Amino acid sequence: MKNEKTTIAAAGIIIGLIAAMLVFFGNPANMGFCIACFLRDTSGALGLHNAAAVQYIRPEIIGLVLGACAISLAKKEFRPRGGSAPVTRFILGVFVMIGCLMFLGCPFRMILRLAGGDGNAIFGFIGFALGILAGVVFLKKGYTLKRSYKMPALEGQLYPVLQIVFLILLVAAPSFIHFSEAGAGPGALHASIVISLVAGLIVGVLAQRTRLCMVGGIRDAVLFREWKLLFGFLAILVSALVVNLILGAVTGTAYFNPGFAGQPVAHTDGLWNALGMFLAGFGCVLLGGCPLRQLVLAGEGNTDSAVTIFGLMVGAAFAHNFGLASSADGPTANGKIAVIIGIVVAAVIAVSNTVRKSEA
Amino acid sequence: MREYIATFYSHYGAVCFKKNCQKLGLEAAVMPVPRNLSSSCGTCVKFKTMEQHFPELNEELEQIAEILEVGYRIVYRAEE
Repeated sequence: MKNEKTTIAAAGIIIGLIAAMLVFFGNPANMGFCIACFLRDTSGALGLHNAAAVQYIRPEIIGLVLGACAISLAKKEFRPRGGSAPVTRFILGVFVMIGCLMFLGCPFRMILRLAGGDGNAIFGFIGFALGILAGVVFLKKGYTLKRSYKMPALEGQLYPVLQIVFLILLVAAPSFIHFSEAGAGPGALHASIVISLVAGLIVGVLAQRTRLCMVGGIRDAVLFREWKLLFGFLAILVSALVVNLILGAVTGTAYFNPGFAGQPVAHTDGLWNALGMFLAGFGCVLLGGCPLRQLVLAGEGNTDSAVTIFGLMVGAAFAHNFGLASSADGPTANGKIAVIIGIVVAAVIAVSNTVRKSEA
Repeated sequence: MREYIATFYSHYGAVCFKKNCQKLGLEAAVMPVPRNLSSSCGTCVKFKTMEQHFPELNEELEQIAEILEVGYRIVYRAEE
């Protein structure tokens, strides 16, 4: 167990370093990694939404899935599975994304925003932790989406293969794929394809080996008093923070800017930052893992996680097509309504899938 | 008395199994699955019992592994 703690802390340090360096190499500020933002950008590139500022096939996502897939094949842990409430997972995926885009970041970017000095992420974190606690209440009462079953090999391989197709589309850049034009917004800011892809591959391998999960950390600490996964979470925060400070000293450009106003790709509405991440945390506990973990599981052949990711991508399309996503100006009225609906839907899913122990 | 780890398809399965262990007076605890045992969900039950004398198995049970001095020995695996 001690060994596992060291491994996960070391992995967290490397992941924090990579995430901070991706910003140096061209990714948007405090967005070395953001699973929600990057899936949203990929949705945009595929034309699922038309927000011109956020369209790019992110190689980090491709690398994460393929890295997790390769290491699970090498370690004989690639197991095609599925059939555990796919439609419910899809719907939860849609709303988790809507929650993330209210806050402007997934749990991973929440850590990176904290490491960049963005105080608004503190409100996000409080909401996130409360959302996880809400989910844990249902876990304790017997919440389950029922077991998954073994699937044919091809079924498990399809999602990783799809990532190779995305990579070809990214490199070939046919005219029907949309890419944000220079200066258009975050979608135009990115490290080179090779750097992004390699970064994704490394993080994918590390996350698969350690089962790193932003939601799992707080969940396990509450459920079992087991702090291992939370160690990974903290290691990423400390490591990214230190690298940001070093980058600031070396380059003369500040990578750590403590404060609330004017933070990159963020708004200052504390209540809605918290409620957005409440929805994300709650939904992710019901799904069994954060968006990063879903990518890793999909790479291991878990088709339920692949369906969840499709839900996240469709959620991103809804968020931009229906004006739900926040901007630097703050949340939108539509977005607030959607987050409330999302919390209600997640609660209904939680209640209706909770078996009373006396009936068991 | 031997020590076992049971893994599950869902957290709920683990909680039920622990209850069944306790009904039989077996020492049992819910905990995260050790990394070197693979599993579908992250929760397992560690319990002590006489050899092969297991509590009622539920449909959420994935496998039962005996804890050896070095590593594990799978003693039961559910049909896929």
